[in-house]
Amino acid sequence: MDDRNCGPYNPWPVAVFLILCLLAVLFLLPTVGVLLSSIKTTRDIALGDLWAIPSSLHMGNFTEVLGNPAVHVYFLNTLLVTLPATILSIALGVLAGYVFARMPFRGSNVLFLIVVAGMFFPPQVILVPLFRMFNALGLIDTLWPIIIVHSALGIPICTLLMRNFFATIPGAMRESAIVEGASEWQVLTMVVLPLSLPALAVLATLQFTWIWNDFLWPLIFTQSDDKRTIMIGIVNLKGQYSVAWGVQGALSLVASLPTLLVFLFFQRYFIKGLTMGAVKG
Amino acid sequence: MERHNRYWRTVLLAPPLLMFSVFVIWPLFSSFYYSFTDWNGFSSDYRFVGFANFMKITTDRLFLQAAINTSIWMVAAIILPTALGLALALLLDVKIPGARIFKSVFYLPICLSAVIVGQIWTWIYQPDWGLLNTLVSAVINEKFNYAWLARPGSALWSVIVAWSWQQTGLSMVIYLAGLTAIDDDMLKASALDGATPWQRIRFIVLPLLTPSTVVVIALAVINSLKGFDILYIMTGGGPFNSSDTLAMHMYNESFKKYLMGYGSAIAVVLFLIAMAIIGLYFRQLRKVERIYG
Repeated sequence: MDDRNCGPYNPWPVAVFLILCLLAVLFLLPTVGVLLSSIKTTRDIALGDLWAIPSSLHMGNFTEVLGNPAVHVYFLNTLLVTLPATILSIALGVLAGYVFARMPFRGSNVLFLIVVAGMFFPPQVILVPLFRMFNALGLIDTLWPIIIVHSALGIPICTLLMRNFFATIPGAMRESAIVEGASEWQVLTMVVLPLSLPALAVLATLQFTWIWNDFLWPLIFTQSDDKRTIMIGIVNLKGQYSVAWGVQGALSLVASLPTLLVFLFFQRYFIKGLTMGAVKG
Repeated sequence: MERHNRYWRTVLLAPPLLMFSVFVIWPLFSSFYYSFTDWNGFSSDYRFVGFANFMKITTDRLFLQAAINTSIWMVAAIILPTALGLALALLLDVKIPGARIFKSVFYLPICLSAVIVGQIWTWIYQPDWGLLNTLVSAVINEKFNYAWLARPGSALWSVIVAWSWQQTGLSMVIYLAGLTAIDDDMLKASALDGATPWQRIRFIVLPLLTPSTVVVIALAVINSLKGFDILYIMTGGGPFNSSDTLAMHMYNESFKKYLMGYGSAIAVVLFLIAMAIIGLYFRQLRKVERIYG
């Protein structure tokens, strides 16, 4: 029995291929629908059905979206939140992960578990007190609370992944560097971190995507239109363009572009790193 | 060396722990505190009302509805993407042309935000020209016009389908990584011994995939507990609260009705439920680990 060409448990590769094709079409339909609507005029959509292939390419929706000053503000705000929060959460995770992996102490496992448990609870649990805290600090309706909360809530996942990664780096490396007179800080930044690029790439992708796409925190902490981020902006603009499905489609695509690009850029590391430390092999 | 370690531990651990304590741990305990008050979110004075908020929960019809919906949501939002992701991973483990393209297609939705996924599926469920009704109309050969998101019977399930569409790619990727770690020779040997493909999946592949399943389900539990955005976008908890979840109910009471004390009590219950589920999960996990090592 020669099954080198088919999988270990799928006896009919042709049937499998056909099933996958069917599933792929089903999975793509929603996204293709948005793509199609974004290159149609509102008139086209109103006349025919949304899902037909357009007769001509209409870029008006994209020029309308990209020319809208409100969209520029939403984008700028989202970047101003996403970049610092991504960097800060990873930096904090690196520090904690390094200690938990390389300098364990009495009770460090319990502490590690408490921090990682933060990953599990629903954000709604801390909504009210955080609102009160930032209100007292006069920071409601600024971008600061969003940056701070994302940095703090990113600590569990960043600490977990960094600790798991640091555990794979031989401890002898650190010890010999210290014996030769390097400080702990030098070991971390000059020896360990350069080796950690794959793990850092994974976290950058995860955190960037997560923070860029977030809806809840900007919804709670911002009120005026010029402080909103892009995901809130989409919902706000929906009212403005309530029947312009093409514009909304274009807006959705433009808003997804940064995370899609980041994913494509880091894809190589991503899938490897996502399962790192979690699945053996 | 020990003094060196103690110094660096303090220096390195202080920033993350301080940040985490002030903005996560402290608010968590504050929620418990506010749940015993009638704070409205703005005024600086509030009264302690004891267990009144928790008593109110027991008679709150909307809370009961939200609790039931949350259970449905969680069970479906864990099982569907996990099962579908496993099926896709098993199919994709075959060496077929275009495997990479297939993987990207199934993974694509996870890169989209909940807001955008919600918007896409709102179009699909649109009664007049939405994709779903167009397809049904084509099959049954007459105009089918059903408002999926506006009917209490279908709203929650419609969102669950959208959610599963988005989340499947994630479990698929994790299962695919798990499958690459399985030794091909073992499967070949079992085939020579006459095991059917189904028997190989059931008795060899699935047990060996246990570590992947652990990760997939943990992620599904975490993500589904947080499932708020997509419901907010697609139904807002409606119609008639038919797709309200605890997270949504908590948001409405706190930030729409400004009953932050009562909202905090709901948050506390939500937290306790979440911790109970996670606790149970990890207890089961230890049993599984004892069996599969």
